[in-house]
Amino acid sequence: MRITNHPVLDEFPKGRQVRFTLDGNEMQGYEGEPIAAALRAAGIMVHRHTAKLDQPRGIFCAIGRCTDCVMIVDGKPNVRTCVTPLREGMKIQTQYGVRGKE
Amino acid sequence: MKRYDLIVIGAGPAGLSAAIQGANSGMNVAVFDENAKPGGQLFKQIHKFFGSKEHQAKTRGFRIGQKLLADAEKAGVEVFLNSVVMGLYENKEIMVMQQDKVFHYKGDTILVATGARENMIPFEGWTLPGVMGAGAAQTMMNLHGVQPGSRVLMVGSGNVGLVVSYQLLQAGVQVAAIVDAAPRVGGYGVHASKLTRTGIPFYLSHTVVKAEGTDHVTGAVIAQVDEKFRPIPGTEKHFDVDTVCMAVGLSPMSQLLQMSGCETTDKGGTVPVVNSCGETTLSGIFAAGDVAGIEEASSAMITGRLAGAAAANKLGFLSDEDFVEVSAQMKNSLRQLHEGTFSPQNKGRTDLTLTDEGIALSDSLFKYGYLSDGEIGRYPGVTEKKVGIHPVIECTQNIPCNPCQDACRFGCITIGKSITNLPIVNGEAKCVGCGMCVASCSGQAIFLVDDDYGDGQATVTMPYEFLPYPEAGAKGVALGRDGKAVCEAEVVSCRVSPAMDHTALLTIKVPKEMSMKARFFSQEVTK
Repeated sequence: MRITNHPVLDEFPKGRQVRFTLDGNEMQGYEGEPIAAALRAAGIMVHRHTAKLDQPRGIFCAIGRCTDCVMIVDGKPNVRTCVTPLREGMKIQTQYGVRGKE
Repeated sequence: MKRYDLIVIGAGPAGLSAAIQGANSGMNVAVFDENAKPGGQLFKQIHKFFGSKEHQAKTRGFRIGQKLLADAEKAGVEVFLNSVVMGLYENKEIMVMQQDKVFHYKGDTILVATGARENMIPFEGWTLPGVMGAGAAQTMMNLHGVQPGSRVLMVGSGNVGLVVSYQLLQAGVQVAAIVDAAPRVGGYGVHASKLTRTGIPFYLSHTVVKAEGTDHVTGAVIAQVDEKFRPIPGTEKHFDVDTVCMAVGLSPMSQLLQMSGCETTDKGGTVPVVNSCGETTLSGIFAAGDVAGIEEASSAMITGRLAGAAAANKLGFLSDEDFVEVSAQMKNSLRQLHEGTFSPQNKGRTDLTLTDEGIALSDSLFKYGYLSDGEIGRYPGVTEKKVGIHPVIECTQNIPCNPCQDACRFGCITIGKSITNLPIVNGEAKCVGCGMCVASCSGQAIFLVDDDYGDGQATVTMPYEFLPYPEAGAKGVALGRDGKAVCEAEVVSCRVSPAMDHTALLTIKVPKEMSMKARFFSQEVTK
């Protein structure tokens, strides 16, 4: 959920609202915010599944260190969504191992 | 290959402070940072900092960050963002990846200020989405304006766990409990108190044993631990949460320094061996901030500036006299932060029983996160004055902080020379009830009490940093230091002013005998 009213921070500077897709589904977020922020705001928890055990992974460090939140962005796998800015029309896919779903 | 007088790796508080000092001394300075924005972790620190005026006490972290950026720009520091430094060599060359290409830069001096990363402890389910670092939660809510979850279990009662828990509440997220395997609350008592009085329980000598859920967290289980920190079977407790935050310490990110070949040692992780100005065993390569040993942002800014001055002096940009002056000033400033109950030499100690003044430390505060009614009277900030409005300062540990002393223009509050002294309230001095002390206390430990409100009523004024602000006339319950309802209460006023920087002064009316018990207000009568 997005924070609309905060006792200390008057505003969260955001870019314009943009559209993108997650596994083919239309989503909305703000340009320039991390992809992971837009996904979390939309209630998406699972970013990828591990290669061997097929376990789900999501946001863990949120600053680009742990690589748990990597996804396929515009066809490129292993993109750290917590530090990659959202752009209009991005095609984002849940990652399975290092691939998208067949 | 471009050459600089000083190359700084990391644009956090230490790196920027060093860069500003270097540039102001006439050095040609470049700062490299892998992130898209400078400032390191400062911009997610929305609480008021401790220290004294020279440490920018009572200023919120992100405002300090804004000032550092402005100063860096003014000084002419060149900041390269999205620039991953991937190599540091003993001849003071660095290799940097910028937009998928690798470039070389040469520095006549180099400062490594790469900071730290969060520690984790593994447990069943710890890889599930919804288990995250406390810093991650802080990043999501304070930088990106997105709640990390709706209900959180916080693991770790150090200052990070406490501060982030409070910020979760401010972001509208519930905190189910704070657990810590240690038998004592690790962070400042004042940080713990401001959580406990809202009703959040602490579970000391407990750890998380399981995060439940199939594709994300739907619950968590904690258990009591024995003296060897092993969970005791049969003591499990379940919480309905969708998020588990881990605040179990930080580790220095010293890989670049290790690569350079300087001598290292173990101090809560691998850190470089440095001299008193931050210079490593490789001449001209410096380290400052968390990478040289985990502390916090205020000391990072000091050690950064000190290293920047040392680098400038080494290359002849800063005269010996000027260097001695800056160095003495920085070392004195650092020394002040290194005293008291939470000093580096007291780290991890569980046998401290007295304050520097010789007053018994609160056992209840360590064990349960709040001061008990029986303990409160022994501290010098709590006066027996029964006539008129007066401050009650529930500051009971020697932490480096003194803004309350400067806030009172009427001489009600004295801390004295050492900023770790407990504040003393002078019962004879005239308090006008302005509340500046309440808003200036970074620990939110100051209350104004007026026992003579009339009709057997008293008022209690408290710092309040939640939305919505209760309106005058609103009825609810007053909560005690332990977060339990003590009596009915009515809001008299909720004052906000720019000088108080988003700390509202909430005044409630309670029966007179409750004036030393009522410390929070809730409109949810069910409490």
